[in-house]
Amino acid sequence: MIRLENVTKYYPSSLGKQFIFDNLNFEIPSGHNIAILGSNGAGKSTLFRILAGSEYPNKGRVVTDLHLSWPVALTTGIHPQMSGAENARFIGMINGVADLDAYVNRVRQFAELGPKFDLPVGTYSSGMKPRLAFACSIGIDFDIYLIDEVTSVGDAKFRNKARKALTQKSKTANVIMVSHEMDELRHFCDSAIVLHKGQLTFYNDLEQGIAQYQAL
Amino acid sequence: MTTIIKRNNWAIWRDVIFALFVREIRTSFNDRLGLAWAVINPLAFIFMLSYLRGRMNGGETHSIPTFEFMMYGMLFIQLFLDTLMNCSNSLKKNKALFAFRQVQPISSIIATGAFYFLVKLMVYLLILVIMYFIGMDYRIDDPLSIIINAFALWLIAMSLGLLIAIFQCYVPEISKIQSVLTRPLFFISAVFFSMQDVPKEYWHYLDWNPILHAIELSRHAAYHSYSSEAVSEFYLFTSGLILFFFSLSIYHISWKQAISR
Repeated sequence: MIRLENVTKYYPSSLGKQFIFDNLNFEIPSGHNIAILGSNGAGKSTLFRILAGSEYPNKGRVVTDLHLSWPVALTTGIHPQMSGAENARFIGMINGVADLDAYVNRVRQFAELGPKFDLPVGTYSSGMKPRLAFACSIGIDFDIYLIDEVTSVGDAKFRNKARKALTQKSKTANVIMVSHEMDELRHFCDSAIVLHKGQLTFYNDLEQGIAQYQAL
Repeated sequence: MTTIIKRNNWAIWRDVIFALFVREIRTSFNDRLGLAWAVINPLAFIFMLSYLRGRMNGGETHSIPTFEFMMYGMLFIQLFLDTLMNCSNSLKKNKALFAFRQVQPISSIIATGAFYFLVKLMVYLLILVIMYFIGMDYRIDDPLSIIINAFALWLIAMSLGLLIAIFQCYVPEISKIQSVLTRPLFFISAVFFSMQDVPKEYWHYLDWNPILHAIELSRHAAYHSYSSEAVSEFYLFTSGLILFFFSLSIYHISWKQAISR
């Protein structure tokens, strides 16, 4: 269970405060794989970052007893001057992985970057960075994975692999996912949260949520 | 599968700071000169300045060898400026890492500060070793006091760095003003002059500056014959403590909003 209590979040801008959420109270039920639906700029990524503790709301708080991943977006927390292996090791250290060498090896095998894994991330192509980011997060056991469009990049082979890994994980863990590809969402998720004008609505049935979202 | 160690908050802190520290080592000296630059840069300065001043006064400045006179000045001002500059930029530099809930801004400041303290300590020891091998005489009458002075100066630099780093999150223009404000410090902190060169009635223009206190005190600690009349340990430590607690309080009330902008 993740509970949002009186969450207010705005960004300062030259036009005054841009409110994303204003005094929002909401409970995200556990045991669901949830798709987050919303138009561009509705605040999906902000919601993600607040859930993960990467950012803090201006007022209110997030209460949870679960172990959440960091928001796995395209290049979160990956340093361009360090190699893939060093980045993986860094992420492992921060998250308290017991056997770092084994973890780095697992990331190496999963990401399939070949010799590039030992070269600086700055030299990677744009499809390779998300592969590394995804491999790093899937290598650690979380209760909930926060996945932001990562599975929809990369080539067909990697997407397949990512799907398999996530499906495997979903037996013991849950995902909360942002994606604009409905096929992707239909594959992983069973319910949906529609984010519209700073309000969240939970739909137990994914199709119902998608229908609602497309009607907006 | 992956076993995650259940850690208490202190263990998380320690692991994060260590990880950031390793990362700092990997990324700070990434060009071909590498770590050697950290040694060559101050050494070149010290040699140049002590040569110039040595020409004027014959190798001895107020009873201590000119080389060591310059060494303490140069190392201390560089310790201060490097720590200050890198700590104040570290929040901006590591911003992407705050996506991990375990990484807090203060950890990044501590890791950066510790790294630059160790670099300067190594340079100091290396210079002593070089002096030993080329047969230069040196004396350190009170090593403990030098360490304490360096530590106090470092604490001041880190506290100021933390303050600037946080203000920078709200007002990004600070970084431009910062370089204008820090540049004169090199010239007013007794790096290449001594308070004994300055007439007593003008001391009050200079002695508000804790860096100057740290430098003069360290020269006095190395050679007790060198006069420390113009400076006081009490002033150095008090300004260090006040800045330290002030910056921590500012940090405590504002860090969550500072990284959420």
